[in-house]
Amino acid sequence: MSSETLFRRITDPAARADPYPLYAELREHGVARQEDGRYLVGTYHEIEALLHDPRVSSDVRKRTAPDPDLLPVEGLPPAFIGIDDPEHDRQRRLAMRPFGPPHSPGRIDALRGGMTRVAEELADGLRGRQRVDLVEDFAFPLPITVICDLFGVPESDRHQVHVWADTVIAGLDFTPGEDPGPRRRAAHEARLAMGRYLGGLAAERRGHPAGDLLSGLADDDGPDGRLTDQELMLTAVLLLIAGHETTVNLITNGMLTLLRHPAELERLRERPELMPSAVEELLRYEPPVQLLPQRTPLADVEVGGVTVPAGAPLILVLASGNRDPLRFPDPDRFDPAREDNVHFGFGSGVHACFGAPLARLETQIALTTLLARLDRPRLLEDPPPYRTSPVLRGPRHLPLALG
Amino acid sequence: MQVVVDLNRCQGYAQCVFLVPEVFELHGEEALMYTPRVPDGQRERVLRAAVACPVRAILVGEPAGAE
Repeated sequence: MSSETLFRRITDPAARADPYPLYAELREHGVARQEDGRYLVGTYHEIEALLHDPRVSSDVRKRTAPDPDLLPVEGLPPAFIGIDDPEHDRQRRLAMRPFGPPHSPGRIDALRGGMTRVAEELADGLRGRQRVDLVEDFAFPLPITVICDLFGVPESDRHQVHVWADTVIAGLDFTPGEDPGPRRRAAHEARLAMGRYLGGLAAERRGHPAGDLLSGLADDDGPDGRLTDQELMLTAVLLLIAGHETTVNLITNGMLTLLRHPAELERLRERPELMPSAVEELLRYEPPVQLLPQRTPLADVEVGGVTVPAGAPLILVLASGNRDPLRFPDPDRFDPAREDNVHFGFGSGVHACFGAPLARLETQIALTTLLARLDRPRLLEDPPPYRTSPVLRGPRHLPLALG
Repeated sequence: MQVVVDLNRCQGYAQCVFLVPEVFELHGEEALMYTPRVPDGQRERVLRAAVACPVRAILVGEPAGAE
């Protein structure tokens, strides 16, 4: 089949359970220009170079032709994930101040005990049941609890936050033949409502900091000043949603992969100290973020012998780079002890995942707890039903038999 | 246990500082400082940090001549 239809075939929900053969086809072509003018890149070294190239923008407003799938919320600028340096750098540094080093080095480390407790409670809640859905019963509630704790969202508001987050994420899915308009509008409304809510919460904390991340964003003046009210809202919504959906998929993809590799699962159950390296391999082998759809060259850029013109949509297929045999020996093998594993699970370059340290720790704890506490888990459907999004890929449900 | 960070490789991702703030520290925004001799209670966490380093700049081992 023509390499010009690769993007259409990758985004087809029929490919969701196993997109990897399409990625192999993409790598054969190096850079693949699509029928609609998009350029796809799927080889490791080319992706790496582009992620570190200052001529490649993350701001979709730099596109020659606007992409209806990526339109920003009307009247609002993008959050820092969708803008370039130096403005991106200023906002990201301000957001990092209450989240991590150098100003708040102990923030994530301090969540360890609480995360373990929540994971154990959720896993123990599955005892005695013969059939569970790992997504609804574990992988979804854990990250939302952790991120709401981190932000200081009161218990009474969490259900609402959960509904908003779900609506925003549903807006990313699509069904062929269905008008995506209503779902996108609902997602858009949910995003605005969430922003207003978090903005209000931040305003309450200003002058009355409660020790949480939102208080830090609202109240703490560093040498660079602080985020404007609008930037704070956009940043809070971004972190809350990003910290949520991606981790759900990492935990679920992780459990699915381990259940497909029972010898590795057994080894990790016996030696939980191997889990950190297993999580890195999961980030390579089944990454929750499969591709970055929002890059645009600001000048004509030469990639693998092809010139990608300024303003053209440039799509970096991270999950394909992770399986590139020119970078990783035996790339289709799941090897939790893989040594040389500089994967793109969290991207790379100036936009490398902000929440990576939280996702790492959370997934290590989640999978260790599941292996220790679930009674003989078995897959009931393989492959399980997937969400349709080709960007944030993961099972919609993961039905397991226990006992 | 001893730790050495290849500072030519280090890109300041700071994953180690998140995971073991007792051993790894950011000096300013980018420069990494660390305690070469790892306290006994931190061994497991330093191993986690070594695996989590996006550029694999952290080397962990026993000092030469150790039992």
